[in-house]
Amino acid sequence: MFRNLFKALVMGVVMSAPAWSAIARTYPDALSKAGKHPIVIFIYGANYDKVGQATYEAFIKKNKIAPYIRQATFLEMPLYQQPNDREKKDMEKRLGGKRLPHGIWSYPCLAVVDSEENLRAVVQKPDEMKDPETALAALKVHLDNFYQQEKILDRARKAKGDKRAELLLEASDYDIRMPRGLTDPKGAEGDPELKNRLNFDPTTLVEALQIKSYDQANAHVRKMMAQGGYSKLQRQMIMAAYAGHLRRGGEGMEPASKERLRALYTEMRNIDPKSTYGAYAEGALVIWVEGGKLTDEPIPTEINRVDNKSIDDSGNGSGVGGNDTPAPAPGGSTTAMGSTEIPASDDDVGSVDEDFEGSGADTDGDDF
Amino acid sequence: MSARLIQLLTASFLFFCVGVAIFPVLFPSKVEKTEQVVHQHRPPVRNIKVDDWTNDDEYVDDDDDAKWQEEPEDKTPDRRITGQDDEKFDEENVPIDPKQNVVPEARVNAEFSSALAEMRRTAEMLEKQEQENYKNDEFKAEDWANPEKIYYDLADRVLKKLGKLDDASIIKFLQSPANRLDLARITLIRKAGSQAIRSVAIRPKGKALLADLGGDLNWLSNTLYSGPTKNIDKGLCYLETLYGIAGAEEMEVPATRRIATTAALEFAREGWSENDLVSRFKYYNESWKEGKLNAYFDKLQYWETRFVTGCKQPSDGAGQWGSRRNLTWHRDNVRLPMEQYFGAEGQLEYRLRNVAGDSVFSSAYLAPIWKYVNFTTGWAYREIGGVCGALSHYATFSALAAGLPASTMGEPGHCAYAMRIGNEWRAGNSIYWRKDLHKTFWGEPEWDFLILTQKLYEDRFKTMAADQMVSMADFLTARRKMKAAFNSYEISAKFQPNNWPALKRYAAYLKFKAPEDREKWQTLHDAVMDGMGKTHYHAAATMLARYVYPNLAPLVKDRVKLNRMFSSLFTHFKDWGTNRWDIAPVLDAQIATCNSDADRKSYLRESLRVLMRRPDYSGAVLTWGLGYVGKLPEGDGKIQEEFTNMLVQAMSRTSTSKKQLDETWATLGEAIHAAAKGKERGTFQAIGKLAYRKCKKNFPKKGPQVKGFAGRVVSTTGWIDTATTIGDMKDCCLHWGVLQRFGGTMPGKFEGKSGLTVGLEKKCDFNGVVCVSHEKKLKNDRPFYLEVSDDGQNWQRVRPNGNIEGNMIRFDLKSSGVSGKFVRMLREGDKYEPGIAGFYVYGKPQR
Repeated sequence: MFRNLFKALVMGVVMSAPAWSAIARTYPDALSKAGKHPIVIFIYGANYDKVGQATYEAFIKKNKIAPYIRQATFLEMPLYQQPNDREKKDMEKRLGGKRLPHGIWSYPCLAVVDSEENLRAVVQKPDEMKDPETALAALKVHLDNFYQQEKILDRARKAKGDKRAELLLEASDYDIRMPRGLTDPKGAEGDPELKNRLNFDPTTLVEALQIKSYDQANAHVRKMMAQGGYSKLQRQMIMAAYAGHLRRGGEGMEPASKERLRALYTEMRNIDPKSTYGAYAEGALVIWVEGGKLTDEPIPTEINRVDNKSIDDSGNGSGVGGNDTPAPAPGGSTTAMGSTEIPASDDDVGSVDEDFEGSGADTDGDDF
Repeated sequence: MSARLIQLLTASFLFFCVGVAIFPVLFPSKVEKTEQVVHQHRPPVRNIKVDDWTNDDEYVDDDDDAKWQEEPEDKTPDRRITGQDDEKFDEENVPIDPKQNVVPEARVNAEFSSALAEMRRTAEMLEKQEQENYKNDEFKAEDWANPEKIYYDLADRVLKKLGKLDDASIIKFLQSPANRLDLARITLIRKAGSQAIRSVAIRPKGKALLADLGGDLNWLSNTLYSGPTKNIDKGLCYLETLYGIAGAEEMEVPATRRIATTAALEFAREGWSENDLVSRFKYYNESWKEGKLNAYFDKLQYWETRFVTGCKQPSDGAGQWGSRRNLTWHRDNVRLPMEQYFGAEGQLEYRLRNVAGDSVFSSAYLAPIWKYVNFTTGWAYREIGGVCGALSHYATFSALAAGLPASTMGEPGHCAYAMRIGNEWRAGNSIYWRKDLHKTFWGEPEWDFLILTQKLYEDRFKTMAADQMVSMADFLTARRKMKAAFNSYEISAKFQPNNWPALKRYAAYLKFKAPEDREKWQTLHDAVMDGMGKTHYHAAATMLARYVYPNLAPLVKDRVKLNRMFSSLFTHFKDWGTNRWDIAPVLDAQIATCNSDADRKSYLRESLRVLMRRPDYSGAVLTWGLGYVGKLPEGDGKIQEEFTNMLVQAMSRTSTSKKQLDETWATLGEAIHAAAKGKERGTFQAIGKLAYRKCKKNFPKKGPQVKGFAGRVVSTTGWIDTATTIGDMKDCCLHWGVLQRFGGTMPGKFEGKSGLTVGLEKKCDFNGVVCVSHEKKLKNDRPFYLEVSDDGQNWQRVRPNGNIEGNMIRFDLKSSGVSGKFVRMLREGDKYEPGIAGFYVYGKPQR
């Protein structure tokens, strides 16, 4: 009887426990635990960077991040500069013979990696990493995108031909990196749209346009756009190449009128006003259409639309590189993280700890 | 009544007259008062005009005040101390001690042993005493208003303490921190000049700064002995500004003090503005306080901090990579462990044109994005991409922004960078051996000097002891103690043989005081070879070529001995040393000592005898020799021919070891490249044939399949050149192969008007041209053009355009009547093309 009672008790606890994140101690461990879920790696400078150490205190020691990652596997990865023997051993142990994924620009960061070691997204900009709340918000968008994209990729993996191509195109619209292997250009020969996206090379387009008359260039570009398959970024690049050709004027050709350039740069901007090339188009409108100058002052026209944190001349503020916040999932509203209530202050830590202790996650030897 | 009235009127008149007479005395007019003040209270001009004493007379002349002339003549001796010029020696007007007014005999190594042992002890003491940080507030803030008094008081005291002025007494003097502080104060006043010190003292915080700096041995030593002190007068003014901004208390913080001092020294040395200095100081000081710099910054000494705080001018107008805004962005957006900054250029896409087709060299390239990236250079390039310059600057300024030493550097047609990981400098994004650092201490931009700088200051206390000995020698020189000054310079040079500026200063002193003393020059020559020459071959050779040979060679009458001395330089060097270097300036300096063709031939014979046995140098000497021959006055051409034969024959005799062949191949490649650029057909052919004889294995065994035209292949004896050699510099002998039947390889680059150019031996009538590509099937997206010329300047396009057939581009010129001495092939667009395997011009030479 006691045995049955104990069984029921254990089952009750397990069933009622929320889906907490797994914590891995090594990278290979994380890869093996991940399955279809992402791995979130907190990478920070452990012996050379006070910012990294402070972030570690705020994000990890005070237990801000880990409980909110849910199904993802969490891994802590300290980096050492000129490591001593102990630090070398620690790094070797954590990496377990693997290398961290390529493509991270700055630490501390939260890297989103899949079980195949593909880096899918990174929260690394100073404005995103300034506190756990902001970082979690950015991470949440990436994780949502990850799950949405993975759902589509799962279907694509099972599909064939046009359907597969269509799904791959849809998946690559998410503002998160695609895993390697699925998007091999050789495999896209059957689908012209997917082929367009995978084979797009802006330099080739610039070279092709520069020897064309304006009418030919227009026909070429419009045909490309009509063919479809190009991402927003690629469509903006196509417009940049086209407008650039008209702005400079080809051999024996007068530069195009400002009105024509206005139309092209406006079209380019409207594809995605918040992107880098949306901003490029806005700048082009100011200097090449309005005949103005880009200054530190806000641009007093409709052109001034791009959200942009600034560093003043005294160097205050950090600025961020490129798109400030990851774009949310294109159509999806459900979140893999559920409704995440991010604690507003350290006062909330206690309840988080309580929840965490009850989660049954592997915490031995960790600072959580 | 009337008499009384007359008396009253008389009295009134007299009173009026007296009043008129004494009024000016009692109530002087404003004008008179001013004159009086000017005359009586005008301060001596020398106390006011602090910037430039030489203008004093002009100031008096311009005043047009006759009363100035009436001032009593100032008969006090001129006690000013002029700022020290590193190239010159100022001697003060002091009595000469006959015992000291002699040039001491040259000493052999053994005679230095006890002095060197004591110097080692001194270096050890410096290390220990640094922890104690000796301070002495003998000179109060107000005292610094009269730097001459401080100087002369100290000079008397130091000379008294030095006693006998022999090696032992001088070194013993340096072992006491109080004495070193006295010497450092003297050095500060001597280097800046007393006028400059006074002008610092009248600035708001000047006296306080001078009292603090002049009373703190560590701070003053770090200011004087952490690298060059050029424009230190301005540097002190800059330091005063920063002292005012930070305040005395914050300036006590070691990091703040280090940042302020090094920034002031570097900005003054480079001649950069005070505004820029303040911006740079604030960036590093605030970043440090906020804990945003790499922890390694805390370990840096003053000399290495100068690489960081003295990095590129903030408002340089060339990208503003060093601006506070840009540094801040790099600091916050590229935070990496030290090792990962090396290679950080990988974060940027390599792009010659942006996606709109604008060249990276045009202002349109980044223009539209500037606002978006908040006018931040690094961020702009990360968004858009760039070429070598942007990539190398990105990595460099990411490290610099974190407080780690790095510098961009030029390579021929390329931008690379140097970055220090721990204590090791590494070359990043580098493609060639020739490197010109953009940040240097001594104006010597080559790699070996960077490594020498590192080694010199890494050996910190030894170098500091040697530098203090040089300070002592400079002081003794000023006080006309020639014998002691010579001994001090020599001990310093012996003790720290890597001390480039100290050796240079000693050579200058030797030239000043004993230019004819062959023994002394020979001793200096040997000291350079045995010391700096052990590891730093380029620096040692440069020291000899620039400062020793021009003085020593005229004193050596025996040409054979002189030739042996010259060739011994290369016997001494095992390989290239820290990095390959250009031996041409050294060989130029050596051959410049020859007075006749006979001398030159004997020199060349001896040099070739030695150099051709050195695998590293044999090819380089050929390149130099051919260049030298090209520069000789034309005359009858006999000497040129003799020299060329000597060089080519010497090269033919070189051994065939693998290392020798590899080096020969690489250096012949450079020589043939130079010949093609110079359109020297004969040299191009001679080197090509030599390369084929010596390194046949490097050429293709089987030539390309060619569908030719009627007539002879007239291009076989010509030269060929292309717009780029990037990536194949060491394989340039294969360019010669491109003209031969067996083929070769060269980059297919047809950019702009450069194209692929061939210069023929004679003017020819053409039947056709065939270019063979390494690509089996050439793309037919853009046409190939052919142009011909008689003079290589005026070109004429011929028709038809090239016909692409598989891997061949064929120009059929049969019956076209086209002739010329030069041919070039062009194509629109600037993208890289497949390499060229063969290029053949068919035709008939004209008579």
